[in-house]
Amino acid sequence: MADRPRAPVRLRASLALAWRTLRSMRTALILLLVLALAAVAGSLVPQAGFPGAAAEIERLHRDHPFRADLFQRLGLFDVYGSWWFTLIYTLLLISLAACLFPRTRALLRNVLARPVLVREVDGFRHYAERPLTGEPDAALSRARRVLRRRRFRVRGPEDATIAAEKGLLREIGSLAFHWSFFLLLIGVIYGRGTGFTGTAVIAEGETWAEVHAGYDGSAREGRFFNEDHSGLLVHVRDFEVRYRDDLSPEEFTTRADLAHPDGTSIGPVDIRVNHPANALGVKLYQAGYGWAPVVRVERDGEPIADAPLITVQPPAAEDEDPRTLPWRGILRLPSLRPQMAIVFELYPDGLAALASLQGGEPLPMVENRNPFLTFDAYRGDLPETAAFALDSLDTSGMEKVSSGLVGEGRTEELAPGVTLAFPELREYTVLQVSRDRGLGIMLAAGILILLGLLPALYDSRRRLWVRAERSGEGTMLKVGGFALQRRDQFEEEFARVVDDLAGVDR
Amino acid sequence: MTADLSRWTFWVAIAAYVAAIGLYVAFLRSRAPRTGRLASVVAWGGAGAHLASIVLRGVSAGRGPWGNMFEYSSLLSLLIVVAYLVFVEVRMGIRTIGAFVVGFAVLTMGLASMALYTYPAPLPPALNSYWREIHVISIITASSLLTLGGIFSILYLFKERKERRLAQAERADAAELAARDAAPILGGSGDLDATDPPDYAPGADEPAVAVAGRRKGLLPASETLDRLAYRTIAIAFPIWTWAVIAGAIWAERAWGRYWGWDPKETWAFITWVLFAGYLHARATAGWKGRRAAYLGVAGFVSLLITYYAVNLFIVGLHSYAGV
Ligand code: HEM
Repeated sequence: MADRPRAPVRLRASLALAWRTLRSMRTALILLLVLALAAVAGSLVPQAGFPGAAAEIERLHRDHPFRADLFQRLGLFDVYGSWWFTLIYTLLLISLAACLFPRTRALLRNVLARPVLVREVDGFRHYAERPLTGEPDAALSRARRVLRRRRFRVRGPEDATIAAEKGLLREIGSLAFHWSFFLLLIGVIYGRGTGFTGTAVIAEGETWAEVHAGYDGSAREGRFFNEDHSGLLVHVRDFEVRYRDDLSPEEFTTRADLAHPDGTSIGPVDIRVNHPANALGVKLYQAGYGWAPVVRVERDGEPIADAPLITVQPPAAEDEDPRTLPWRGILRLPSLRPQMAIVFELYPDGLAALASLQGGEPLPMVENRNPFLTFDAYRGDLPETAAFALDSLDTSGMEKVSSGLVGEGRTEELAPGVTLAFPELREYTVLQVSRDRGLGIMLAAGILILLGLLPALYDSRRRLWVRAERSGEGTMLKVGGFALQRRDQFEEEFARVVDDLAGVDR
Repeated sequence: MTADLSRWTFWVAIAAYVAAIGLYVAFLRSRAPRTGRLASVVAWGGAGAHLASIVLRGVSAGRGPWGNMFEYSSLLSLLIVVAYLVFVEVRMGIRTIGAFVVGFAVLTMGLASMALYTYPAPLPPALNSYWREIHVISIITASSLLTLGGIFSILYLFKERKERRLAQAERADAAELAARDAAPILGGSGDLDATDPPDYAPGADEPAVAVAGRRKGLLPASETLDRLAYRTIAIAFPIWTWAVIAGAIWAERAWGRYWGWDPKETWAFITWVLFAGYLHARATAGWKGRRAAYLGVAGFVSLLITYYAVNLFIVGLHSYAGV
């Protein structure tokens, strides 16, 4: 054991081995395949946080507890955020860097260095001789011109030899392509880290401010986000859905006025699907909509509540058309003593609702026609919950005091002295609000990836040497060369270059 | 009216393709140049009817005919046939794999019209974007070439195995080998269409295996198939890359996120990674040839999953249930 290497030496040896392994193309290949495999897992197992996934994961836990538990432990419900997914692409990127450093250095050397001269040109894969009349010097200067015109990098004539090469662009493109993945990553990290995304729910006629409180906790903020919200003011004038004849939606439009935090106007915008608005560094996307009946509650003639109420559509059963269902909303009145809550069901199209009742066949309610609300009023203690659901209420500590129906423009009595009015039906719009400052970087990376890929795949490195030797009265032109890629095509190119060099017209 | 006409020309195209397959098979057996040419003519005719069907469908729907699964499939199979006819037949003078390519196209069309047919209709608003048009057209173009690459890789694997068997047999029977070598080597004309001279004359350094294989079997030499696969995949890969980028730009505009690991996106990524793997494998010692071809086939399978399985069995944002 005496000659056992000391620890630092061994460490260095292991590091060198790791580096060499990472540098090998086979490692990169295997890592790419493992990355693909991980993504396959992510597409087959429901991913937490995706639409509809929560219910699927719950069902899996109920029906196959063992499998669900295993998936949970392996992080399969959150593949793209799991430590092993991060490990795979980190290793891939390290491997990439390990490949790229030596290649980049070699490329720089290659660009700076001039083509290498050789004395013997007949040992190459392609070789041709042509007897010419005239002096060797004339042949060489002609060869230089021809090769320059064909965009070769040319060195010489020196010692009656010319060296020429072409296709460095292939390596430049390949390196630009591979390096761009780091740029892409920087764009993702920077954009996600300093940005945020959230949803704004705004009824027609209301103004919403792009500040932390505006999101009701719905905002997802980046790690380096420092609460520098823009303060943008969004006043929604109008929301419109245009339907086709078959009542499928054709276009959603939010018409809004934007303003600086201090109220100075920025201008009107139309926000539509695929046409986000862009102001003060944030983007506003059309993401959803719904009905917001204005409800006014008065006690002894004094208003307690008077605002549009956000209603939502309950989930439909498989065989149900969700558009036939009434919308649900809850008005909480914590300031009353005792407290009150009113659970509403909204029928936006009263005519369709009546026709459904009479005909038995449920009809979709998409238009605002003679709307009405049904209500159940409860009195008692409102449940103490931090976040309250828009469409469900725990009434265990409350008692129902009345229920009924109120049409648009009508007023009903809820309890002695308390009235409920439904002056008008409005719509609300759901906007997704986000800021991502990395998009520009990512776009640049995308362009570089594409631009680099083209020469990397289609260009080829090739080298030529031309030598002119005196032969009797004239000159013997000797041309040798080879291509590193696309060899079958080079054969033809080589023949044409040789003809060109010899002055043969094709 | 135009919808019916579109449907009708679609069936004419299928009928012509089926006839072309029959002729290609006859050509494979007889090697009569006239049969081969006739097969091509019929295939071109089918492609013409197919094009008419797609254009009529667009007219009928009042938009580009690439709005749902049926339309993707129809356009995809047209591009596969045309890309094959132009690149493989016209440019390279190879006609011996027509039956496989056109066969795949017919299979796609048949399945599409049975399982996926919907009446032409306008699109929900999220799909109403020119970035979507760019994305979809690029994806379909790239897919048609990747499909060809996949078919070539599959044929390569068959042919390569056959050639290895043959080489073994020949080594085992040296006397027969000597007898065969006495006959002149036909420079591949046994496989390549005799009327159009092949682009690829066999090189001096061609492996003996390939030369041996050329004298037996119906398909082009494995080396030619390998080169065909590489060429088509190398053209398709940047187009696919571009299509994925265009898709991300569209997603950013439509949903405010450029990438969400939605199943369709994920599978487009997997397909991209597998074909990147293929391109690497071809440049890696020990992975060239068979292993690279397996990757090409894996990429092809992944492409089919991206196209079909994701829509039919796994749904995400790309199923466009609503906004
Ligand atoms: C981020 C994942 C990667 C992707 C998407 C990718 C993609 C590609 C593509 C499409 C090509 C073909 C273009 C060309 O020939 O230049 C290529 C070539 C190449 N890649 Fe990568 N690559 C990745 C990672 C790596 C890594 C980690 C290495 C280092 C081992 C590497 C080394 C190479 C080399 C040496 C070539 C040139 C092969 C040739 O000359 O034909 N790549 N890569």
